[in-house]
Amino acid sequence: MEDKGYKNPQDLTPNSSRETGESKGVWFIAEHKTGQLEKTAFLLAGEGRALSTKLGEELAAVIIGNEVKHLADQLGPYGVENAFIIEDELLEEYTGDAYVNVLSHLVKSNQPSLVLFPTTPMGNDLAPRLAARLRVGLVTHYTEIEVDREKKLTIRRPIHGGKASATVMPLSKPLIATIDPQLLTVQKAPQAKNIQVIETGIKVDPKSIKTRFIDYMKADPCAVCVSEAEIVIGVGKGLGCADNLKAVEELARILGASIGGSRRATDERWISDERRIGLTGKTIAPKLYLICGISGAFHHTLSIKSSQLMIAINKDKNAPIAKLADMVIVGDMQQIIPELAKQLKEALK
Amino acid sequence: MRVVVCVKQVPDQTLIKFNIETGSLNNIHYIMDPVDEASVSEAIRIREKNGGEVIAISLGIPRTEDVLRTCLKMGVDQAIHLCDEMFDNLDIYSISTVLAKQIARLKYDIILCGRESMDEGNGFLGAGISEWLDLPLVTSVTRLDIFADTMTARVHRRIKGGDREILETPLPAVFAVESVLTKPIYPPLRTIMAGLKKQIIKVDAKSLGVDKNSIQPMLAILSVSQPKPRLKKTATIDSKLSAHERMKLLMSGGTQQKSSKTIEKPPQSAVAEIIQFLISHGIISK
Repeated sequence: MEDKGYKNPQDLTPNSSRETGESKGVWFIAEHKTGQLEKTAFLLAGEGRALSTKLGEELAAVIIGNEVKHLADQLGPYGVENAFIIEDELLEEYTGDAYVNVLSHLVKSNQPSLVLFPTTPMGNDLAPRLAARLRVGLVTHYTEIEVDREKKLTIRRPIHGGKASATVMPLSKPLIATIDPQLLTVQKAPQAKNIQVIETGIKVDPKSIKTRFIDYMKADPCAVCVSEAEIVIGVGKGLGCADNLKAVEELARILGASIGGSRRATDERWISDERRIGLTGKTIAPKLYLICGISGAFHHTLSIKSSQLMIAINKDKNAPIAKLADMVIVGDMQQIIPELAKQLKEALK
Repeated sequence: MRVVVCVKQVPDQTLIKFNIETGSLNNIHYIMDPVDEASVSEAIRIREKNGGEVIAISLGIPRTEDVLRTCLKMGVDQAIHLCDEMFDNLDIYSISTVLAKQIARLKYDIILCGRESMDEGNGFLGAGISEWLDLPLVTSVTRLDIFADTMTARVHRRIKGGDREILETPLPAVFAVESVLTKPIYPPLRTIMAGLKKQIIKVDAKSLGVDKNSIQPMLAILSVSQPKPRLKKTATIDSKLSAHERMKLLMSGGTQQKSSKTIEKPPQSAVAEIIQFLISHGIISK
């Protein structure tokens, strides 16, 4: 049978720059939303700066969007030397087709040695597309990039869900890599750089857009799955009875939180089974986990360790959860929850 | 609708362990990647609704047959096994080119694969295939509605915080799916028995027209090692601990100094502290 629709095999051979090695610069993609740079942009700037110092190359940010030029200045204090701006009306909202179209042109014409993405929904979508378009290697979820004396890169990344770690070496340039921004901390550069803003003038080829945007579906934060929610309230034995859940639900509405719970809470039918957090339920990684009346047995805490911030409300100040939480409130959740709801309502007015 | 599904055999993540003494992975039980189970189930549902056929493809050493047999038992019409010495230990880039070569020989309307495999989690395959075959791509798919009359698909994809984006794409297209796409199907006994009898089609490098020169890896895997121990969040090291216990703590990655606040106050003032805490960490803003 004919190899119909298959691109010319020559196209599949790696980028020719792999022999010449004429590449310079560490790049990162600066995410932004509603006219503001996202925190991931600053986090990646710090990571990029560390790598660019090791490689002795310049650090550059790539900002893609519609009218985004003004965002570049904010990156100066983080040691970013260049900012590539790609502006087009078609880039207003993220679409993989359009973004990879412009970004691949920019990378091809400038040949950086490294392009960093955050493992956000945008990065997870765009990084593989870019690697495929450029015919170069992709390393996702890396934890560490080492640079040896000959400026060769070796990269560590977790495999088997973090049970082991693989060390890989790229055989092509540039290397496309994604890192979880949660592993990074915001670091300002010792010396602020005068950022050079480069307007690339690259425009989207409308023909490159194959998928059509239809709609956004905003999730009801109280209804989403606990594993996807940004704020989670966990209830346990301390809840006492199902009626007490009303106060928690009220608080969840104010905070925009999803309610989960320990095995005890699901067994008592206070909350549904798919909201169970723990070894036999879901694993969560929210921005805030408010732990109410859960003592913190191993089966539960195993699945909450990636939470960024944990506040525990417990009667027993020596409960195991107290060792894990960032803040422990010693007291009865049945008094504290309604009070918290009340005060939050006033604070958020 | 002709649906092609790329499946992978992976070690069960919940069981696998890294043995520090031998420096290798232990307790390896091979299963079908859960995300592929979801995509095969979805493919079969699409066939039930629109007719057509489902083809499962897997690349790997002979034991990969097991996972293709599972697919056949689930009700897949055809299973293709790409098996050749040349295909051993390839990186994901090369795998995607080989798979694309095989897919290009088939007739297809929909190509499904997992967004990220459970073992390596490269997240490249979908993008690779879509690029090599010049097809539209949608990643992080959580819902897939196929319209056979207009040859389009309406897709929900996962974005931040449980939000969804709805896209429309013409077919044929590649979809990199999330495991929440559908629940795995439980086929009737008749389908399972029929699946046991079906033949798995073997394809080697020669019949695919792949030679050494056309496979060029982009990454070299140097070693697999113990993961770096994570900093453990515990209370400050207790000087009361014995030297042995303190050593144990250090060996396991040390401890992270953690400023845990314990508040014993009446509800009203305790709550005020919580709110202060939330504001200072940017969870809520006044």
